[in-house]
Amino acid sequence: MSQSLRPYLQCVRSSVTAALSLSNFASQVAERHNFPEIEAGYSPEALLNPLTVARNDHERVFIEPSINSVRISIKIKQADEIEHILVHKFTRFLTQRAEAFFILRRKPVKGYDISFLITNFHTEEMLKHKLVDFIIQFMEEVDKEISEMKLFLNARARFVAESFLTPFD
Amino acid sequence: MLLLDYQNVLIESLLKDRFSGAPPVAIDQVVSDFDGVTFHISTPESKSKILISISVRCYKELVQYGAQAVLEREYGPYIVDPESGYDFSLLVDLENLPEGQEARDDLIRRISLLKRNAMAAPFEQAFDEFEALQEEASKYTSESAPQGVKEGGEVRAIHYREQEAIYIKASHDRVTVIFSTIFSDETDRVFGKVFLQEFVDARKRAIQNAPQVLFRNDRPLELSHIPGLPSGKGEIGYITFVLFPRHLQRKRREEVISHIQTFRDYFHYHIKASKAYIHSRMRRRTADFLQVLRRARPEAEEKERKTASGRSFRVQ
Amino acid sequence: MALQTPAVVMDNGTGYSKLGFAGNDSPSFVFPTAIATRGGPAGGGGSGSGRPAVANKPSFLTGGAGPGGHLSAKRGTEDLDFYIGDEALAAAAGPGYGIHYPIRHGQIENWDHMERFWSNSIFKYLRVEPEDHYFLLTEPPLNPPENRENTAEIMFESFNCAGLYIAVQAVLALAASWTSSKVQDRSLTGTVIDSGEGVTHVIPVAEGYVIGSSIKSIPIAGRDITHFVQSLLRDRGEPDSSLKTAERIKEEFCYVCPDIVKEFARFDREPDRFAKHTVNYPNGKSAIVDVGYERFLAPEIFFNPEIYSSDFLTPLPTIVDTVIQTSPIDVRRGLYKNIVLSGGSTLYKDFGRRLQRDIRHLVDARIRASELRSGGAKSGGLEVQVITHKRQRHGPWFGGSLLGQTPEFRSYCHTKAEYDEIGPSIVRRFALLGGPGST
Repeated sequence: MSQSLRPYLQCVRSSVTAALSLSNFASQVAERHNFPEIEAGYSPEALLNPLTVARNDHERVFIEPSINSVRISIKIKQADEIEHILVHKFTRFLTQRAEAFFILRRKPVKGYDISFLITNFHTEEMLKHKLVDFIIQFMEEVDKEISEMKLFLNARARFVAESFLTPFD
Repeated sequence: MLLLDYQNVLIESLLKDRFSGAPPVAIDQVVSDFDGVTFHISTPESKSKILISISVRCYKELVQYGAQAVLEREYGPYIVDPESGYDFSLLVDLENLPEGQEARDDLIRRISLLKRNAMAAPFEQAFDEFEALQEEASKYTSESAPQGVKEGGEVRAIHYREQEAIYIKASHDRVTVIFSTIFSDETDRVFGKVFLQEFVDARKRAIQNAPQVLFRNDRPLELSHIPGLPSGKGEIGYITFVLFPRHLQRKRREEVISHIQTFRDYFHYHIKASKAYIHSRMRRRTADFLQVLRRARPEAEEKERKTASGRSFRVQ
Repeated sequence: MALQTPAVVMDNGTGYSKLGFAGNDSPSFVFPTAIATRGGPAGGGGSGSGRPAVANKPSFLTGGAGPGGHLSAKRGTEDLDFYIGDEALAAAAGPGYGIHYPIRHGQIENWDHMERFWSNSIFKYLRVEPEDHYFLLTEPPLNPPENRENTAEIMFESFNCAGLYIAVQAVLALAASWTSSKVQDRSLTGTVIDSGEGVTHVIPVAEGYVIGSSIKSIPIAGRDITHFVQSLLRDRGEPDSSLKTAERIKEEFCYVCPDIVKEFARFDREPDRFAKHTVNYPNGKSAIVDVGYERFLAPEIFFNPEIYSSDFLTPLPTIVDTVIQTSPIDVRRGLYKNIVLSGGSTLYKDFGRRLQRDIRHLVDARIRASELRSGGAKSGGLEVQVITHKRQRHGPWFGGSLLGQTPEFRSYCHTKAEYDEIGPSIVRRFALLGGPGST
């Protein structure tokens, strides 16, 4: 783990943990409705100050807390075109399966690659610290996966090129 | 599967089956091959006479570059008038097959290579031209050579796909083969670039004797005089193979032509195979993430339940 | 695309995959839906479990620094090292390869294997550039929409195929019956009896839509008939009673008789009904096997299951009748009128005739009973018709070929551009191909 990654993840961890103090909150605008305030945005008083944790230009986390829901958006490192495509493919693949990932938002917040939406219902059913663990592990592994895929692609390309050219030898 | 086959597997297996002496049956199949080639295998007259027709979109160009001669050399007595809608036809009479298993196998092999042979003509012509030019050039020093010899022959263009083409140009010391290829998809384009970079580098790194490969998005110098070529945009790419004299030797010719023909499809096949592999990685990774998330769910407490009669049981 | 390339029709079944081009009367390739990969057979199902534990495996199990790390990943090409179809069976017989069947009970279980199976089908066997072709795939009835989406994801994202249509096998089997001279109107209403190697389904289809709640399956199919023939051969102590011989006898000699008791008598009267089957061994020897009553007894297990099985006792005609009776009342007439056979185990001579007669008996009995109860009312009668046609064996494939060659086929497909725009959920809905309004 590189020098700056640990404090970055640590910071995300504490910020997300702090943001995850959610409580049930019925809608103030519609009777018998209960929706994530952060998504609806009808009651400004239910929203808290959003927060960005950035490691550098390319990697940052945007945490938008509210009284009953938190939206966490992640910008994954993309150094070049290949990583960009791979990140795009991977996040798309994941959101395609959002049904299984209870907290995954089907669409990322603008400017980010992937978003999670955690509501008070999630924190009531699931262990809060484990949810934070999941977010952190996700951030760690996604980078690793992307770079592994990139390595694979390069290796495969080399192999393919050499296999094609060898018969000419 | 790493390399693509040169022959058409269906034709091969079908003929093998027919030649083995099985009772003749009626056949009527339209079969596709790469690059928009269509075959029609049928038994129009009687069940023992198999008609194999091929349609290639660039057949006119191929004829212009001597396809007829090549095909006549390969298929001689089997050639018949082309079926309507197709460019070239062969008729094989099962009752009149060559004697001996070897000769038959050879015939099967040749017929299953029909597409390859049809496409081979311009290559062969260019290779011949190279030999002539080499002969010619050996009479001069590099400065004194006349313009025609220095510049090499004309560019043969084969528009084998809608928007893609192969250009072949012979010079006195090389034959240049240029593929233009289109990436319809953004992912393919990026993957393709990675692959092509490795094609370009492979020669430097590992295989010294391989043809030189160049890749660029704008049109190469050799094609500068051809009007109406798309250029500059990201989705089209020009891949140049420079074949050196060692690749052009008579005895290696056939193999080289077969092999280089498969380049485009090989290339696109591997882009797709990589995507398939990346998919399987992503599936794996997704399953892993799900597992982590599942850990967040507290395990259901095992409550002891009792039935009305007072017996206890466990919830499964 | 100026040149109209023929659509690719792929019918991937549990046992066999049928691949070919639309417009042809038979599939170009029929081979087992099997894939042989390096390493042993997969343990459990699940995605990717069949992949050998070599480089490039996500390193989550080892918590980061996986063994070998990135260096061994450099040449990770094991995902290209596999065979499909008959070659897979051959490769699995040797060392180093394990065989997998990615489809179970008609549904795709292992997507990694299926993706590679398709990749090889397209590039090695069919030899087409998927970007140039439209694809028609099949699915079993009641396939979950998620499976469809996964299929679309693979077809569009991995292969960039130009267009995709996914049709239900039973509906295609109905379309295949249009070649029969008995079919006058090309309707997509009917009952499909699909009997393959593993299981027999009776599927009611109304105007192109499967009536899911009424589908019934019967655990008697081709494999059971083979076993039955084998057991008869064993009982008689024939010189060769291998499964292969039994299968050959089943395919070559079996037929359906109208009445078993009479057929027994007929065999005794006409000794030339007993046949002989010669088995040739690879070593040049041969054995002669007598073929007797199994000629008509074997397919009889569809109609009298008690002669074969002790736990499943409902005859096929009764099942068909029940299926139709549980379907909505307004389509029953259409379902009785158009009972279509599909699959290899429906090919026995007179199978359709016997089925039609038996179902008609059931229907007539019911009508008579209700006439009696109503006290004098007369029923207009009910037409029962079982359609037998030449393309039964690969029914779904042929139906796909038939529909795939129609000029309007492409307009029914979802294209790559539409997929990119909307996403995989687009394949949840397909316009009904060959339905009302089309030719």
